[in-house]
Amino acid sequence: MTIETEWLSYDVIVVGSGGAGAQAASAAAELGASVLLVSKDPLGASDTKISEGLATVRESGSDDDIEEVLSENIKLAGGDLPIKKLTDTFSKYSKEAYDKYREHGLRPSINKSKNRPQSLPLAMGGHNRNRSVGHENHGVAFGHANWDAIIKEKNIDYLEDAWFLDLVVDRNNKSTNPVIIGGLIYDASKGVLLAINSPSVIIASGGLSTLFFPKTDTMRGNTGDSYAIALRAGADLVDMEQLQFLPFCLASPPSYEGLLAGEPSTASYLGVLRDKNGKIILNGVHLRTRAACSEAIMRAVEDGRGSPNGGAFLDMTANKELPKSGPYFMKYLQDSLPTAYINARQALGKEAAKVEVAWEVRPGAHYMMGGIRVNDDGASVGGDDEGSVKHGISGLFAAGQAMGGLFGANRLGSTSLTELAVFGSRAGAAAAKYSLNNSFKVNKKLFESYINEYSSLFGQKGSIASNILRDDIQKESWKKIGPVRTAKGIKEMEDKIKEIETKLNNISIPNYFIWNQAFMDFVELKNMICSAKLIGLAAKERNGSIGGHVRLDAKNISIFSRPYSTVVHKNNNTYLVKKLNRTRTPLKNLIYYKILEKKRLLEARFLSMLPKNIKDKKLEKKYKDIMSASGKAPEIMPGGTEGAIGETTSV
Amino acid sequence: MTKNTNSLNVNIVTVRDGKETTVAFTYNKRAEKEKPMALDVLMQAQSEVIPDLAFRYGCRARNCGVCTIDINDRPRVACRARVKDGDKLSAIATLPVLSDLVVRRDGIARQMRGLKTSAQGNDLNVDAPEVYHDLTSCIECYACLDKCPMHMRNFADKLPKYNDNNLPNASEGYIHGNPFSLLKLERLRNDPLTSDQGKNIALNKAIDLGLDACVECPGCKCGVGIDLKNKVIKPLLKAAKDKL
Repeated sequence: MTIETEWLSYDVIVVGSGGAGAQAASAAAELGASVLLVSKDPLGASDTKISEGLATVRESGSDDDIEEVLSENIKLAGGDLPIKKLTDTFSKYSKEAYDKYREHGLRPSINKSKNRPQSLPLAMGGHNRNRSVGHENHGVAFGHANWDAIIKEKNIDYLEDAWFLDLVVDRNNKSTNPVIIGGLIYDASKGVLLAINSPSVIIASGGLSTLFFPKTDTMRGNTGDSYAIALRAGADLVDMEQLQFLPFCLASPPSYEGLLAGEPSTASYLGVLRDKNGKIILNGVHLRTRAACSEAIMRAVEDGRGSPNGGAFLDMTANKELPKSGPYFMKYLQDSLPTAYINARQALGKEAAKVEVAWEVRPGAHYMMGGIRVNDDGASVGGDDEGSVKHGISGLFAAGQAMGGLFGANRLGSTSLTELAVFGSRAGAAAAKYSLNNSFKVNKKLFESYINEYSSLFGQKGSIASNILRDDIQKESWKKIGPVRTAKGIKEMEDKIKEIETKLNNISIPNYFIWNQAFMDFVELKNMICSAKLIGLAAKERNGSIGGHVRLDAKNISIFSRPYSTVVHKNNNTYLVKKLNRTRTPLKNLIYYKILEKKRLLEARFLSMLPKNIKDKKLEKKYKDIMSASGKAPEIMPGGTEGAIGETTSV
Repeated sequence: MTKNTNSLNVNIVTVRDGKETTVAFTYNKRAEKEKPMALDVLMQAQSEVIPDLAFRYGCRARNCGVCTIDINDRPRVACRARVKDGDKLSAIATLPVLSDLVVRRDGIARQMRGLKTSAQGNDLNVDAPEVYHDLTSCIECYACLDKCPMHMRNFADKLPKYNDNNLPNASEGYIHGNPFSLLKLERLRNDPLTSDQGKNIALNKAIDLGLDACVECPGCKCGVGIDLKNKVIKPLLKAAKDKL
């Protein structure tokens, strides 16, 4: 028996029902396009829903927050890798896109005197203005808004439990670039393949952190689908080595493994990292970049001095012990990153919650800064420099974590929720216009090879289960292309991938069609393999450390060298990797950032050498300064630069 | 079987092609004194015994709301529900099973399709009342469907059995409501940007979904602790008292 194929036609397909997908579908429907939104997870269950719920809204905190200021801020934070056109677009449309969210029910606190959303009372580290708006219920509030945006629009048909398998592309017309003609979907609840004729597809299906499971604090569904689908269709992928790891995730007990426990700044003034022998492996933790913390932990592990569960010990007890400032520290720890503190308390127990003992921590995969190469409409581009749609794939769009080029090597806190609002709605509108304004010819014949490929998988005989290989690739990815990398490790990962690929046709997939877990696991495994390849190829091309890419065997890339991005592309079965030069920020700004960095580290060293009672007094004052009149410490954003003050300097 | 403190014996109910099978599974603790969550048990069972065991999960931190299963016939969020020796893990009984511990969920959301209540063009800079945020804390885990008489009307007052050929078509959206849908409607009614007309639309929708079932019902239980009775059901019943 063969799985049946049903045929449908839409103007726009949106893949993913998180923030980017919901905004894209909503914008496309508003312009009158018929939209099919597909999601493998239940509607709206995405990284957006489980996020901290802070969004960057320009001018929410000060009147002088002009477009140029925010745009340059993002570009500098990203190590000069971000494309200016994209940071400009982000900056220009942040308010408008945020208001779309409010139309769908997101309700921030309002600053009555200024008649605008209330921003947090401080510039989150790295941001040069107050412009981060927090929300009650964190990401869950965004989850409701996404749900509402999709449900209320009759023009949007949606499918959950539906795996978007591949884009169907027409490459036959030699005079044009490849053109999207639709996509193939596995509808697991109905047990059929869906062949969809559609001139445009928006990829908004998130990141790839599950490639490193269980070392992640994000959704299980992040199996790199976005990147793999785009790569197979022939799209360019940019900056794929730039994956953000959070250094302080829980290493045990198993149920909590990978969940966030803290950020460098929550280690506070006297936090240090220790190896299993109690030796300090990194001091001044609160001023370090995430990469530096991850590197210290992973070097100890490589050297056999790691903690029992493959990490190191985050020792914050010196903060707690001081009689006057200690209580302030505890308040700061609990307030500044509440979800992380709760995770740690539940996982590590009472003594740890009181910071009487050190916490065992290990890095966890968090956010992919790279992704599908797009322009300011989220449309696929190729070619040199910023790229052009003439060299991209016509009809392909991307938004949210799926897209690349906006954040470069690092990301300011609270920007990802704004990214998906800005580029989700722009991609939705652009895709709708593209579909409604261009003639489209259905070509069922081109679907045949895709349908045959996937339908023949049902009933595949074999002796291996996908999830055994999945566990294998997750473990190896962590070691070889994870928080720290070497040329040797990257090469070993390539070999590992080849070995796993030879086993793919020996995977057993039973021949039933409704919710075939083995089939879905197989599809996800293939996407994870593809993502691992992308990271490996980009990581090989960038032979020095910058931002989310840490090489143990090579130097840091100097901030004074010419910034470049990596691009990976697949043509037939050959992978092509290249560098693209980016424009450099003026020299005087770079020097200024360098001086600030040195000054902060010197101050920290001076403080730690003071006699105990003086240190205590000084710290008490510092805490009082941080905490507002209410005595509450401001919340910070996991992944944001305020969580790793050192990163404000890593231009 | 001898009692081993390094392991736990649980029963996992699998469902394939309409056939229910109870699989006895021994969970091996990965650390001394480990108190595993139901999700840990399912993951280990999948990697060791039932390679294609079907279950949902997402964030592992009780935020995404997708991993709800029944433990000893009561709905629990699997990533934060500890398992004891002898526990039974099965799909939630209130929705039709697709496979093993996976149920079809979309019939719930679909019953709200096309419901537009927000007035466009209003001033967006208005604070929402506290109750709006209370209701927004719902993670959509569907634990509240348990024992809901309104929801059971969809399945002729019985629990949906997978081998029943008369199940309503989820693709059309279930006709009868549930506490989650009522929460969404009450949330809209508490949104300061919803017009009076929109509030009426929401209330009438609640009545259409079968709000009358709530009159005699002792109340529903939320998976994340929202006071459904006082914050959702009572206000709706009060507003609808002349229409029921």
